[in-house]
Amino acid sequence: MSQDTLIFSARKIVTMNPSRPEATHVAVRDGRIVAVGSFEEICGASGAKIDDRFKDKVLLPGFVEGHSHIMEGMMWSLPYVGAFDRRSPEGKLVKGLPNVDAIVARLQEAEAVMTDPEAPLFAWGFDPLHIGSISLTRQDLDRVSTTRPIMVIHASFHISNVNTLVLKRAELDRATNISGLVIGKDGEPSGELQGIAARFRVFRVLGGNPLSGNLTSADVDRYASSACVQGVTTVTDLHNDLADQTVEVYHAASRRADFSVRLVPALASVSHSQEQGIEKLKALKSSNNDKLHYGIVKLVVDGSIQGFTARLRWPGYHNGAPNGLWYIAPEELPGIVAAYHQAGIQMHIHTNGDEATEVALDAVEAAQVAAPRPDHRHTLQHCQMADAAQFKRMKALGMCVNLFANHVYYWGDSHYDLTMGPERASRLDATGTAQRVGVPFAIHSDAPVTPLSPLFTAWCAVNRVSSSGRVLGKATEAISVEQALAAITINAAYTLKLDHLVGSIEVGKYADFAVLDQDPREVAPEKLKDVAVWGTVVGGHVREAPRA
Amino acid sequence: MITSPAATIPVTVVGGFLGAGKTTFLNHLLKTSGARYAVLVNDFGAVNIDASLIARHDGATMTLTNGCVCCSIGGGFIETLGKILDDKIPFDHIIIEASGVGDPWRIAEIALVEPSLRLNAVIVLADASRIDSLLMDSRVGDTVRNQFERADLVLLNKIDLLDRASARAARNAIVSLRDGLNIIETSQHTMPDLPVGPSRIVSRFSASEAIDVANHERQFRRWSYRRNDAFDRVRLEIALEALPPQLLRLKGHCRLAGEANASLLQMMGQDWSLTPADVAEQTGILLVGVGIDDLPDAADLDTILDRALTSTSDVPSISIMNNNSEFQSQGTQFHSLREGQIPCR
Repeated sequence: MSQDTLIFSARKIVTMNPSRPEATHVAVRDGRIVAVGSFEEICGASGAKIDDRFKDKVLLPGFVEGHSHIMEGMMWSLPYVGAFDRRSPEGKLVKGLPNVDAIVARLQEAEAVMTDPEAPLFAWGFDPLHIGSISLTRQDLDRVSTTRPIMVIHASFHISNVNTLVLKRAELDRATNISGLVIGKDGEPSGELQGIAARFRVFRVLGGNPLSGNLTSADVDRYASSACVQGVTTVTDLHNDLADQTVEVYHAASRRADFSVRLVPALASVSHSQEQGIEKLKALKSSNNDKLHYGIVKLVVDGSIQGFTARLRWPGYHNGAPNGLWYIAPEELPGIVAAYHQAGIQMHIHTNGDEATEVALDAVEAAQVAAPRPDHRHTLQHCQMADAAQFKRMKALGMCVNLFANHVYYWGDSHYDLTMGPERASRLDATGTAQRVGVPFAIHSDAPVTPLSPLFTAWCAVNRVSSSGRVLGKATEAISVEQALAAITINAAYTLKLDHLVGSIEVGKYADFAVLDQDPREVAPEKLKDVAVWGTVVGGHVREAPRA
Repeated sequence: MITSPAATIPVTVVGGFLGAGKTTFLNHLLKTSGARYAVLVNDFGAVNIDASLIARHDGATMTLTNGCVCCSIGGGFIETLGKILDDKIPFDHIIIEASGVGDPWRIAEIALVEPSLRLNAVIVLADASRIDSLLMDSRVGDTVRNQFERADLVLLNKIDLLDRASARAARNAIVSLRDGLNIIETSQHTMPDLPVGPSRIVSRFSASEAIDVANHERQFRRWSYRRNDAFDRVRLEIALEALPPQLLRLKGHCRLAGEANASLLQMMGQDWSLTPADVAEQTGILLVGVGIDDLPDAADLDTILDRALTSTSDVPSISIMNNNSEFQSQGTQFHSLREGQIPCR
């Protein structure tokens, strides 16, 4: 071992490499792993330094979040008012708020420290479903301020609530019958706004959408910090126009030695024609560095199940709601898929409902028949309602899937009661089926929609329990802790075509580790989410997670 | 009834499923416009403008030599439309292409809540050769049907490719969706101009000029109304309400009882306005209307306006419509719908 090699010793190293599953020492040089083994095996005659700061810790491969968004970094500049506890990029445990009074109190706190009396107060993460289906009213928000514009963005990001001042300024304060303006019990607008017309008007009055401004390096740093707090060393930004400004910010951040995460942005297909998209990805790929990995494209076929905008096969929604929305028409999808497929680009295809999954499978099948391509690894994202027959088609077509395991906890109850009904809800996000059929799969958070926390996501896939305590299809769809750990490391890396670089602690790969207090395989499965994350190592650089 | 302030910019939303001909229509509007349009499109690639007509092209915005601009929505709809509204010189008209799987009405609602805009029309195109099967399609039928729900005007396109029976079937498929839908049959080479209301575009011309329909007489029918008389203002408002939906616009001079000067009447869809006329010496009433080809007979239309004349002392009830019950039911449907579209501000 040469002088510039550093050996980390740990209580245990769980490698996720089946040929050497456990070790106590890992040697790192130039940001990559040069040896994995015991003290005797790799330290013997070497002059390498030994860093034993992890002697009480357990190292795992750095977690790979295969479906999350940079918006997670942007949201945390605003107060969080969701129902569940969440950890901020500063490592602070932000308590969930159980009722409207608690939400108003947190907003009052945030309002009190604002210096500019004109500046709007935005907050995020509100979900009426989790506080007894009670929505905020403008009167609730008027208790926070009648002189400052206030806007609370729902967890879905499609709905928001504003105070009376905003309604007045937007001239939406009298009853109109545009579809996005919810009317309260008093016959007046309640302050809840849905749909594009109300959004457009309100953002015009407020001087812009706080979430659509130019991306800053502070946003990216917050995202990296959130990742560190959760043991994530490779993180996606799975739907981005990749405007020049964004590309510049990503480029600058990723070249900094202290930047502590590998970024995998996906180009949003909707913002480009296929020709432009293919051209753009080619150009972006040439600017890749070890912490920035362009090359994948994201297609969004339908909406969300809990928003009743996903496309479902017969018999549709359990409660009889009309079928959802196509974001890409079924007849348009084959052309888009064929173009990217033939250009050698890996596709990540959002399909929530099983009808959307069906048209995506048809499109990939047609593309494969027309131009067979080995190892394309096109990946269905979310794919929450697929049945065994659809998983078998994925397998036959060489596809991967990234299942939204966190849904079981957050919306499992509404899927059981309203959207899918008991039978289909029990195979929601069917990790067990994927495992049995042999479709390579990852599990994800879709942060900021649900919290970025791969150990929590793994816990969801292992325990399959909803927020009310209902267990959904555990006997057939739950996976083992070991399988869940693979789904947040090596298998997630596989879905991103990065498994040759990350996802296991193995000679030649990047020295990316999640530093944990315990071996997740040794805690009770129902405690998996409680395993504490100390921090990360990315390319050999140690970063202790902030604790606020 | 809204009398829109002159400062508002009319908005037309163009919807329709993939392949219906939205881009062909938008290309036609961009090339032939005599006014300054801002056109927001989904896919730049499909816009086919002769290079000699393009003054500037900076990636997201194409500026034409006739002053029109064409913007790609790719960078975000809210931001793109915001930029258009912030342009130093207000556009004469904003035309927005809805996505092929989108609901054009959702976009049209923006013009109802944004005070600097007003809704001119929702125009939905349909490919006559496949609209019947699209409406029945198990995957997209609901999406396609929704697009027509709030359409003011349907362009039944590619009609030239069909035989008479198929054309009738296509038309019937759309008619059966909703009572009172205005349908114009079009082909790639016979695209109509934008039906426009009393905006700055029209008001550039004096009222004595007939509305130019020479280029598309085949799709539009004209109706002239001439009387040596004056209207009663209150009864005129009632009469205008009663005009059938097939009448797309109405414009001209009239005298109002008790007023010294002539007035300029401009009407488009649900919008109308009465303003002092430039030409004070004008006497009597001269109005020119344009409607689609199933516009009721001129005599029927005359009767409606005649009820507003001062010389008509005894105003009949709406029995005038009784001899055409089908027409009346269409009219009723349309008016109730129109009221539904107008926000009470």
